[in-house]
Amino acid sequence: MTPFILETGLRIAGLILSGLVVANFVAAKRWDYARNLAGASVIVRQVFYVHCAYIIGIIAALAVLCLGWPEMLLEGGMARVVCAFFGIFWGSRVLVQLTYYDKETRRADRAWDVFFLGVFLTLGLIFTLAACYQ
Amino acid sequence: MKDLLETGLVIGGCSLTTLSIASFWIPKALGWREKLAGLTPLMRELWWTYSIYVWSSHVFFAVLTLGFGGWLMGGTGAAVAMNTFMLLWWGVRLYLQFFGFDLTEIKASRFNRIAKHLLTLLFTGLVVLFAGLLCWNLGWLETGGFR
Repeated sequence: MTPFILETGLRIAGLILSGLVVANFVAAKRWDYARNLAGASVIVRQVFYVHCAYIIGIIAALAVLCLGWPEMLLEGGMARVVCAFFGIFWGSRVLVQLTYYDKETRRADRAWDVFFLGVFLTLGLIFTLAACYQ
Repeated sequence: MKDLLETGLVIGGCSLTTLSIASFWIPKALGWREKLAGLTPLMRELWWTYSIYVWSSHVFFAVLTLGFGGWLMGGTGAAVAMNTFMLLWWGVRLYLQFFGFDLTEIKASRFNRIAKHLLTLLFTGLVVLFAGLLCWNLGWLETGGFR
């Protein structure tokens, strides 16, 4: 695996991650977070939005890093640890989707379900490869 | 200053580890299971997924701080980026602690009051630590510096 291929992979990951940031806002509208949380207690609502914002923040920061400075993720021990973390982060997201998420909801949106499984799997692979082969 | 930051990294790492372990008690202490019962399955799943991924980020920060302190002080671009990110992460969390969360529905027990003060102390300490590390990596403190 050459550094060029890994760098290209990370740039592609950056594009995918940028798409995921946008997708998070689309999901908020599509699944009507505001209405669905309206009846919940204040703390539940607040924690949901804060965690959602933090997840978007971590994805956005990683997107910036992958698009702007992919070489930073390919040099040194810390870069390897960061890539390994995100390999696990996205790899585990595939398992969460397959084992935890409601099957009925997934079936109702099968095309998106498969699409996002592919997205998470691709990201998991790119970061795992970056961690293993640098 | 180097010694001080190294000590800060050990204290910060241990605090993050404690936070990660203590997080297992939060759902029970705040009665999350009961409070989430009224949500739709999808919202509940999203809620837990976000929570677990935020928690895993805290574990990752603990691992970095305890196991890779040398790299976090290495003066590299990666060290600057990582410290900036963690400074922002905990800076926002500290802001939310004072101005973001409405905690009126949390029982005002002695345990909850102490936990809240300890969390405020922890977030403040982490902001100071990562700000210090960022300044060190940028060369604003003694012999540290961007290379």
